[in-house]
Amino acid sequence: MIVAAAVALIQIEAARSGKPSFLNSTLTTVIGFFQTGASSGLDAARDALGSVVQAPRLAHDNAELEARNRALEAENVRLREAVSQQPEIAAIDRALQAEPNGIVAGTIGFDPENQSRIVTIDKGWQAGVRLDAGVINAEGVVGRVVAVEPFTSNVLLVTDAESKVPAVVQRGRWWGIATGTNTRVQLQYVSQDAQLRRGDIVVTGEGRSFHAGLPIGRVVQVFHAEGALYQAALVEPSVAFGHLGRVLVLAH
Amino acid sequence: MHTRVPGRAAAPPALLFDPPAWWKVALVLLAVAIAQATIAKHLAFREAVPSFVLLLVLWYGFRTDAVAGLLFGTIAGVCEDALTGSTGAAWTISTAIVGALAGRTAGTFISESKTWLVPYAALATIARYGIYAIVIRAEGQTILLPAMHAHALLWQALYNALIAFVLLTFVPKTGVSRVGLR
Repeated sequence: MIVAAAVALIQIEAARSGKPSFLNSTLTTVIGFFQTGASSGLDAARDALGSVVQAPRLAHDNAELEARNRALEAENVRLREAVSQQPEIAAIDRALQAEPNGIVAGTIGFDPENQSRIVTIDKGWQAGVRLDAGVINAEGVVGRVVAVEPFTSNVLLVTDAESKVPAVVQRGRWWGIATGTNTRVQLQYVSQDAQLRRGDIVVTGEGRSFHAGLPIGRVVQVFHAEGALYQAALVEPSVAFGHLGRVLVLAH
Repeated sequence: MHTRVPGRAAAPPALLFDPPAWWKVALVLLAVAIAQATIAKHLAFREAVPSFVLLLVLWYGFRTDAVAGLLFGTIAGVCEDALTGSTGAAWTISTAIVGALAGRTAGTFISESKTWLVPYAALATIARYGIYAIVIRAEGQTILLPAMHAHALLWQALYNALIAFVLLTFVPKTGVSRVGLR
């Protein structure tokens, strides 16, 4: 009982101070290494499983491909070039050019119980990641760092209810606060005189975690009530959170 | 040599547990925590993910007692809080309490058969989330839309119960072996 109470108090104290407890740091350091391995193993297993499932079709395709082998050899040089410019890597490289001090990281884990929209990345303070740093990918805003450990960090996605990002509607420069709804983003506290439309692009405003102008998403629904102080809009995030891979942690 | 005292009822059979070696449990917990943070998300069904950690805590609690269940639940909860990074002690406290309750239930008729254990897993999922939500609120954090969470929670309870049923049916070792009843 005493041990359990002591552990709980340590956790609560750390949560209040906003710093990770030594228990969290030790555990995440140890588990982070295994997570990286497990994540890589999972990807490999998924690829292998996909190959097995597609085996009959691949066999049929293989016969045709043999006939076209010579033509493909001619295309080989072009394909090698295409492979070397995998979309994700190329996109991250483009983002890196815009943010040269950014830290490239890979997603290695998720919220264990799926209660919040949090992912774990494979870079921590040893790599220069800092608390509250913004995280983006080539498509737009991913989230911000909420916990930093030596070798891993936790990123709160913009779709989480706890996430609050200053945002601007690009067309009219109307300000609002982008907060998560679990699957999408809601733009709140937009002035009533703003003429929001479906399809409007929402970007970040200058803030602690992000520079201005990073894409958050596109307006899909406007909530305008007469007599209300503000209006709101539902925003479809520009980032596909279903298959989050490499991200860029912004250095401020 | 034991002799029965005339006029007195025979003593109830002793309650003996067979807890697994600590290092084995530690390794399994490590593996389960990693699976929870990497694989579980890919098994999501209607926003609900299976809770391997909770099932392990229940299993350990049923094989030990309240104190051991509490301690193991605490350790498992710390792992989940560490992996989440922003829940403070919510999983630590909730998992510890569920572990202690499982330990307290060990050796009773509840831990005797699938009929009780399967719904127990579902109820434990809901109870654990309830405690988690209270602690999260006490920590001043936001809980997502209640309706959405309730929906996912019920699916998770069903999911965990299904996994418990499959394990108890096809993996005999997951059954709780003990001597005597409380």
